Amino acid sequence: MLVRRPATASRYNREMSRLALLLCCTLAAGAVQNSTSKSATAEIVKSIGVFTAPITIEVFSDFQCPSCKLLYERTLRPLTDDYVAKGRVYLIHRDFPLPQHEHAREAACYACAAGRIGKYETACDVLFRQQEHWAADGKVADTVCAALSPSEAKQVRALAKDPQIAASVDHDIQLGTAAGVQKTPTMVITYKEQRYPVVGAVNYDLLRRFLDQLLSK
Amino acid sequence: MRFRRWLVLVLRVGLAAVFLYAAWTKLRQSWLLFAMAIDAYGLLPQWAVITLARALPWLELALGILLLTGLWLRQTAIAASALLALFFAVMLKSYARGLQIDCACFGLGEAISWKTLVRDGVLVLSSIALAALAFRRAPYSAKPT
Repeated sequence: MLVRRPATASRYNREMSRLALLLCCTLAAGAVQNSTSKSATAEIVKSIGVFTAPITIEVFSDFQCPSCKLLYERTLRPLTDDYVAKGRVYLIHRDFPLPQHEHAREAACYACAAGRIGKYETACDVLFRQQEHWAADGKVADTVCAALSPSEAKQVRALAKDPQIAASVDHDIQLGTAAGVQKTPTMVITYKEQRYPVVGAVNYDLLRRFLDQLLSK
Repeated sequence: MRFRRWLVLVLRVGLAAVFLYAAWTKLRQSWLLFAMAIDAYGLLPQWAVITLARALPWLELALGILLLTGLWLRQTAIAASALLALFFAVMLKSYARGLQIDCACFGLGEAISWKTLVRDGVLVLSSIALAALAFRRAPYSAKPT
């Protein structure tokens, strides 16, 4: 027994080491999975289309900016039908509220909060459609909530105050600043790792021709 | 006299470099990107936007080469002044209207701001000065003495 004790202790130590290593790996994997799923969730609520589409378009916009409203209504809607729905473009919305627009940040927070319950497009639509009204009276929450059911509205009002939502808006602003965005709307078109920044409410016909040119390369 | 000749040379080569760089930044990428930038000004119908987007970089290239060689300096300086003054007027109007658009002066990604206006204003004045100097003496030889 005296002879076998060290062997048992040694085996015990080995087993404990393996267990500790396994525990560390499990915790690390969990942490990575958690962070990935969080970022993926943040991405999914504000993006449309297939992630593997050949062209990615990031739209940096401000809900209170009139040109962004024009871009949304005249360009992004037909783009969604013709390219995003057909798997040729992956469209990501990025919030870039400008400091001179008093209610733009609040609108971005409410849109993101609506995105958390899968209603991002509904919030975008109503915010751009009613832009003149809420920009004048500041009733952002009422505008968004009017387009939702009472239970959804309650959820969105609570979520809009979540610090993670504000952090998500800040993250988009940082991405925009890093990409050299100065004005809104700015679209950053990425194709085969080549980035093309396009500023302003661009004409859909010209954008369509450019996308077709890229896809035919 | 010698100072004036050197001043003409500096203005000529400086403006030539600006035009050549502007042409290069536009010609190295799809003309449709430049067309979208012109369209954002909201001043021209689409057929004119397309024509301008295709033609303007070549016009800038031609002006750059002519300024660099010093050929037909009076005519070239007038053409350059007219073109730069037109750019300046359009940018000023867009800035006054509060348009959040790309300047498209040297490729993409540069929004119209007071800095771009100051830069374009300096270029207009330089070009007018070159035209004035070219007219103040006998037809100018490209080489300074």
